[in-house]
Amino acid sequence: MNEHGHDDQHDHAHEPSDPEAARLALRAEALEELLVERGVVRRESIDAIVARYENEIGPLNGAKLVARAWSDPEFKRRLLADARAAIAELSLPVGDTATPIVVVENTPGVHNVVVCTLCSCYPSSLLGLPPRWYKSPPYRARVVREPRAVLRELGLELPETTEVRVWDSSAELRYLVLPERPLGSEEASEAELVELVSRDSLIGVAPAGAPRER
Amino acid sequence: MPDVHDLGGRPGFGRIEREAREPVFHARWEGRVMGMVYASRRANWLNLDAFRHGIERMDPQRYLAASYYERWLASIERVLPELGALTPGAAPPPLAPYGFEREVGAPARFAVGSTLRARARNPVGHTRLPGYVSGKRGIVVSVRGGYVFPDTHAHGQGEQPQYLYSVRFGARELWGAAADPRASVCVDLFEPYLEAATSGAREVRDE
Amino acid sequence: MSADPLGALGPKAPPRKNGELQFDELWESRVFGLTMSLHEAGAFAWGEFQAELIASIGAWEREYGASEARSEAKPSEVEQCPRSGEGGSAGAGRAAPSPTSGAGFHYWARWLEAFERLAARKGLLESTALDARAAELAARPAGWDHPKR
Repeated sequence: MNEHGHDDQHDHAHEPSDPEAARLALRAEALEELLVERGVVRRESIDAIVARYENEIGPLNGAKLVARAWSDPEFKRRLLADARAAIAELSLPVGDTATPIVVVENTPGVHNVVVCTLCSCYPSSLLGLPPRWYKSPPYRARVVREPRAVLRELGLELPETTEVRVWDSSAELRYLVLPERPLGSEEASEAELVELVSRDSLIGVAPAGAPRER
Repeated sequence: MPDVHDLGGRPGFGRIEREAREPVFHARWEGRVMGMVYASRRANWLNLDAFRHGIERMDPQRYLAASYYERWLASIERVLPELGALTPGAAPPPLAPYGFEREVGAPARFAVGSTLRARARNPVGHTRLPGYVSGKRGIVVSVRGGYVFPDTHAHGQGEQPQYLYSVRFGARELWGAAADPRASVCVDLFEPYLEAATSGAREVRDE
Repeated sequence: MSADPLGALGPKAPPRKNGELQFDELWESRVFGLTMSLHEAGAFAWGEFQAELIASIGAWEREYGASEARSEAKPSEVEQCPRSGEGGSAGAGRAAPSPTSGAGFHYWARWLEAFERLAARKGLLESTALDARAAELAARPAGWDHPKR
């Protein structure tokens, strides 16, 4: 059992589990070191791509739902009325079709954000793993009490006139935010729209189409 | 510190830390714990509500210091033996219907638009009533149907399905007059947690 | 990247759980990032990497059997408060061990292999240098990266 208490980024380095895994990890590390030393690639570029795929582009299921909703007003209406049926229409790979999912729509007047204060419930069957900050005590404690301040800290400034609705997933319903379609995306194809939807925007802590940070 | 897991609205927490990247598991044992939880769920040994309550029963200091998977491990260490999974010759309970939605034998007591008050939190046993809404008034925004009732299910007292309501509480109702007039929290609450309220709740102004 | 290089890999695309790319080991994500980074910088055409990846996977399948390669662990229902969870501790990119070798199909190991061969072919590095560096790193004492407390 982990004896180091908090598992933050200062934990001991990830330890592969068996000799073959260790060999592969070393080889990958050697590869990166050599190519960085020779100036062939920058470490920051690798970091940026990994972050983009892990945090910004995925999860694909949610992004596809949103892109379809933005492109097709009738689908959006069905999604808001009965998310499970709408999800089934797209034949998305979901882990558990029994999960009741509710989609809440962001508008210029209303901004939604999701939390589970009691543990860390998240629409995982659709979106996979939640980010660690979502499960952390500070987020769970603070977002219901001071949502605007929390959003600001996470990079989202809302106009004072926008109403903030926090959804606490205290039972078996799982909530997904339908972010506003970004300005300037009017000509984008549905496939291009998928690229604009990040995991954070589906939780409600970022707008869609946010510029890549790195 | 009772009910340390019931974190909504608790003061004293600081910045939300975000890692640039997080591995799925930080160590191999975490993957094994996840595997054990899933396997025991599949074999119907691990009741989800009892599992959550197992986490809630952790020593509060340990809960706050523990990593996510440490909490899972702490729960199954306690709960699986309690449920009989380690008893030689024991059999798991019969499989329940898929999912958590159930028919309730009676009509829902409350309707969309009702003003309700959340009851005091039961200090003993598992519940999904967050402490920060206890005694507060809110408005029903949706009646979600019948679900397995965690308060009984966690303690082996059966599913006893109850209606689930999404109830919206204005920030000023929850946190006082200095709170944001344009913020609210919507919480999913079971019928036994709720009672009718006669006076109006301090609601978010809809414009 | 305007096109979708991962989509172009078709059935040889990286495994996803619930639509999301995931990595079971840190090195997998580093190798992925390295490959994409170099491609974006123009070091090679995507088709060149694709060919190497297909060759690498094909070679493994010929040696260990295609059925093992394709029988990957089902995407696990990674629900935070787990319910009808499927899947156990196997990751998205691994299959049950093959009866012949004891080695299961490991997608990212095939990717690493493909990238190494491509990098060598493009003159980005020599495999002798890579072997030497890997040996140096292996010689580090255990616990070298543990933070001092």
